[in-house]
Amino acid sequence: MNREIVNAIALRRLALVVVLGMAWQAQARDAKAPYPSMAPIEQYLMDRNAEIALARSAAPDSISRDAEVMVLGRHGYETAVQGKNGFVCVVERGWMNLFDNPEFWSPKVRGPICFNPPAARTVLPITYLRTKLVLAGKSKAEIKERMKAAIEKKELPVLETGAMSYMMSKQSYLTDNPVTYDGAHNLAHLMFYTPLMDSAVWGANMPKSPVYLNPQFEGQPEPIDVFMVLTGTWSDGTPAPLS
Amino acid sequence: MIRNVTRTIALGTFALVVVLGAQGEARAQDARAPYPNMAPLDQYLADRNSEIALARSAAPESISRDAEVLVLGRHGYETAVKGKNGWVCVVERSWMAPFDDPEFLNPDQRVPLCLNPPAARTHLPLTFKTTELAMAGQSKTQMFDSIKAAYDKKELPLPEPGAMCYMMSKQQYFSRKAGNADPHLMFWFPQKDRMNWGADFPGSPVDVHQYSPQPITEFDISVSKWSDGTAAPTDQH
Repeated sequence: MNREIVNAIALRRLALVVVLGMAWQAQARDAKAPYPSMAPIEQYLMDRNAEIALARSAAPDSISRDAEVMVLGRHGYETAVQGKNGFVCVVERGWMNLFDNPEFWSPKVRGPICFNPPAARTVLPITYLRTKLVLAGKSKAEIKERMKAAIEKKELPVLETGAMSYMMSKQSYLTDNPVTYDGAHNLAHLMFYTPLMDSAVWGANMPKSPVYLNPQFEGQPEPIDVFMVLTGTWSDGTPAPLS
Repeated sequence: MIRNVTRTIALGTFALVVVLGAQGEARAQDARAPYPNMAPLDQYLADRNSEIALARSAAPESISRDAEVLVLGRHGYETAVKGKNGWVCVVERSWMAPFDDPEFLNPDQRVPLCLNPPAARTHLPLTFKTTELAMAGQSKTQMFDSIKAAYDKKELPLPEPGAMCYMMSKQQYFSRKAGNADPHLMFWFPQKDRMNWGADFPGSPVDVHQYSPQPITEFDISVSKWSDGTAAPTDQH
């Protein structure tokens, strides 16, 4: 293994630690997985109005007030508010993490996110399908296999250019371990979706780069890379930690 | 049918008004802009080594040290440093500003960018073409028309998916009023994509610029640090 490869691996690992993967890696060292299987469904559900408000908090009000809002029901996501601007806001659960993320089944995870129109058309279907399989009681391995099959059979739409989303909610809870210096369980950020590619094309995870590769899909199995840029402000306009 | 014809006429009239209006606007700008003409070429040129360093300062050193670096010579941009990672760093001049920008042709403006590979392939040709026109002494109106014709004839490419650049140089200079503005990333799309990033809405961290006549949408996202890792002033972020 040459020096460049070693450096590349080291840099990538560093960036993952800096970003949301910090908690994940810390927990991966634990012998016992904290959330070995799905909790009772009630633990993943929320009060409908609270979920609408939380979903909308992912983006500034100027965007989310006209967005469609989805809430999680016992049989999947359902439309709670019709939208007018093509954005769709939703609160994702732990099963939208990588499959080997120890918080995959955490009932505490709440990831409010507002998708722009291309992402709503081509990324959100992944959320719907994974959620449908989860609520059907499938195991993690079964879900992964089914997602892989859906991609191979082209049951999921091809990612559109320009797909992106807002994750600027102060109230979101992405991981048990704090990820910022002040103990928050979230970072205010934007996410950009691309086909799988060399992350160096966006300069991601390079020292002092403001772009990070978010380890959400990475082809395992969804063929999408997710890049993050921290925004420095929450959706309500108050300052957010940048490190 | 009648409605379609009426609509077609209306759209045609609208398009004509837009085109004539844009040309008229460019001419009006010629009259009132503080920089109505090119300054002597020497005022746009820089010391070669200084320009290389300035170009590289657009991105963190981890990216720019392996990038190709272009510098402006008397006959256009030329390669000063060969690259290894597909990125290209360049200091753009004020003729790359929007045609209605009052700083257009300001000889003091220095805007370093490091373009990723898709942007190097599809944005740099615009930089080269515009620079060629400016250095040939074309008026703003002539440049506007030439750029429009080049896109109409598909002589200039539209942005590739994923085309973006870093503009994080602490030394960048836009104008006396804007100074070095803020560090940011820029993303480019064809206008025909009608991309919606929620830009320019209150509270959104995304700004948008619709260029004319370049059929390009540009999104800007401010970041918190300059390329050297130092914090940008929070009031600019």
